[in-house]
Amino acid sequence: MAIKALLIDLPRCTGCRGCQVACKQWYKRRAEKTTFFAGPGYQNPADLSPQTWCLVTYNEVIVNGRYEWVFGKRQCMHCLVPGCASACPVKALEKLENGPVLYHREKCIGCRYCMLACPFEVPRFEYESWNPYISKCTMCAARIAGGQIPACAQACPTGAITFGERDALIREAERRIASNPGKYVHHIYGLSEAGGTCVLHISSVPFEDLRYVMRVPRTPMVAHTEPAMQAIPMVMLGLATILGAGYALRTRKQRNNQRAADAAEK
Amino acid sequence: MTITVANVRIGFGTLLLMLLAALGFVLAMYRFLFGIGAVSNLNQGYPWGFWIGADVLAGIALAAGGFVVAGLMHMFGGEKYHPLVRPTILTAFLGYLLFIAALLVDVGRPWSIWHMMIYWHHESPMFEVGWCVMMYTTILFLEFLPVVFERFRLEYLYAIWLNLTPWVAIALLVTFAFAMTHSASWVLAIGVVLVAFELLVRFGAIHRDPRMPTVVLMAGIMFSVLHQSSLGSLFLMVPHKLSHIWYSPILPLMFLVSAVAAGVAMVIVEATASAWYFGREAEVRLLQDVGHVLCWAIFGTLALRAGDLVLRGVGTELLVISPQSIAFWIEILVGFVIPLAILLTPVFAESARWLLVASIMVIVGLVLNRMNVAVVGITAPYSPTYYPFWMEVGITTGIVAGGVLAYLVICSNFPVFASARAHNAEA
Repeated sequence: MAIKALLIDLPRCTGCRGCQVACKQWYKRRAEKTTFFAGPGYQNPADLSPQTWCLVTYNEVIVNGRYEWVFGKRQCMHCLVPGCASACPVKALEKLENGPVLYHREKCIGCRYCMLACPFEVPRFEYESWNPYISKCTMCAARIAGGQIPACAQACPTGAITFGERDALIREAERRIASNPGKYVHHIYGLSEAGGTCVLHISSVPFEDLRYVMRVPRTPMVAHTEPAMQAIPMVMLGLATILGAGYALRTRKQRNNQRAADAAEK
Repeated sequence: MTITVANVRIGFGTLLLMLLAALGFVLAMYRFLFGIGAVSNLNQGYPWGFWIGADVLAGIALAAGGFVVAGLMHMFGGEKYHPLVRPTILTAFLGYLLFIAALLVDVGRPWSIWHMMIYWHHESPMFEVGWCVMMYTTILFLEFLPVVFERFRLEYLYAIWLNLTPWVAIALLVTFAFAMTHSASWVLAIGVVLVAFELLVRFGAIHRDPRMPTVVLMAGIMFSVLHQSSLGSLFLMVPHKLSHIWYSPILPLMFLVSAVAAGVAMVIVEATASAWYFGREAEVRLLQDVGHVLCWAIFGTLALRAGDLVLRGVGTELLVISPQSIAFWIEILVGFVIPLAILLTPVFAESARWLLVASIMVIVGLVLNRMNVAVVGITAPYSPTYYPFWMEVGITTGIVAGGVLAYLVICSNFPVFASARAHNAEA
């Protein structure tokens, strides 16, 4: 099955936040009481939360010597090999074959390791609840299964969010960058970040100016833990052998004495 | 006039412990009603904080590290170290029970924690950690049972225990190997070695320890080695968040080595403290031997740390003034340099008091190290910095206070040190 993806063309974004509202409506997320905050960024609400899975960020960036609002988008990146899913001890996070990373709340124990493992700081935890779950964007897996496109892509009036097959979207992103010299920076965010993601961003300004996370490995997160996990059976076998043999050698004398004592008893 | 409850003297210290434990309990209940957010400063960017650093990383290192050392000494150091083993089994067992209590507070939905047994995911370091906890706590419980048998003179049960526990230990190890690999060949290889060892012991080809089956000790050592290193593996997942000063591909190995070094220090502290409390003679000569080992252990850990930092080229980062580099230097001074200086000065090395001081510093150094990995070294791109809330510290303090009380009660009512006395009398 082809892997689906979203292409976020940030220069096309007008900051209308239609995607943010569509996401809230579709998933019946509560509105949040927000207050002014000291930045950086001027978006509302300030950050992703258990109630906000999709967020348009407002960033003041100097473009051609003057300040401009440049918009960014934060949501689950739906990694090809998601760190959250590798981290989860009970397989509560699952990567679907067609792209979305889904959270199965009935399995979750609330250890929050997925939050630590996620390089994009996406999974949110319901800290205020006595029975807390993780929550995050689903890439509208259910809508996709029903033949629709994700709510945010459907709502976007300017074509800043395109839904399609990942390979085709990568080609499209490359085409847009190549055919509009000077309009885009030469970087498809998500092409190789964390081993590649199913949400691809292209931008007119460097991504660090939009406060995208730049300290992201280019390999899947699991590549860093795999060697340690594969060593477990070797450590077990090695320890069993060394401890057993060492003990046998160390206690030879006592064994001989024990035998002598047993013989004497008889 | 002294009042005693369950053979424990009630004084200022014990009353204070009870108060702290009660406060911790109340705070924990508050958390279960109003959520983790109500009792902690944990936020969306810092999902792990004081609890993981103190209860999980440091707590486990101190509980199990001591046992690894005692187990190794018991297996390879000969009979003379036997008196040190029982107290460390008790501390490890209690430590793990406390740790589980702390985990039930820290995990969001503790009532579903058994999911780890049915939804297997052996790619996850957290899965390994969880399984190590279950397996190792079972082993420690089994190892502690002889104390109970002795107390109630259950020789019959003791005999059954001696016969049965080796097989239980092997079963646990093999199950664990299967859960971690899903591979029949690994399970077979590990199983064959263990079963062969046990059979050789039974047929008299290998010395049979009359008091503690060697396979059980081996299982204890193996599980705690795996558990220590798996706690390091947890943080291999966060190259993007953990400062370069602490993030290293050999983090599991460093967690293990530093836990063993702190374990040596724990043996000294436990033996001295319990000797003082119960008014017994400390085994001074034995402890000086241990002190010698401690010196090498600190040196080894320090060498590993230094080599790792140099090879990864982190040198310059340590000379820039930042919260991380300051935390690093405090950790190194307290945990390594000063205790090493104490132990290498002959006047101090022969004094039981300075030996204790050096050991405590090593332990504090280990706690600082784990805190640095779990809290200080972590940076989250979007969230406000995390500082522990007083209630978080209160819950942990309460749990530790409860543990110390339980230790006193058990030591006052069960023959934890009795075999030591008998042993001294024999000698």
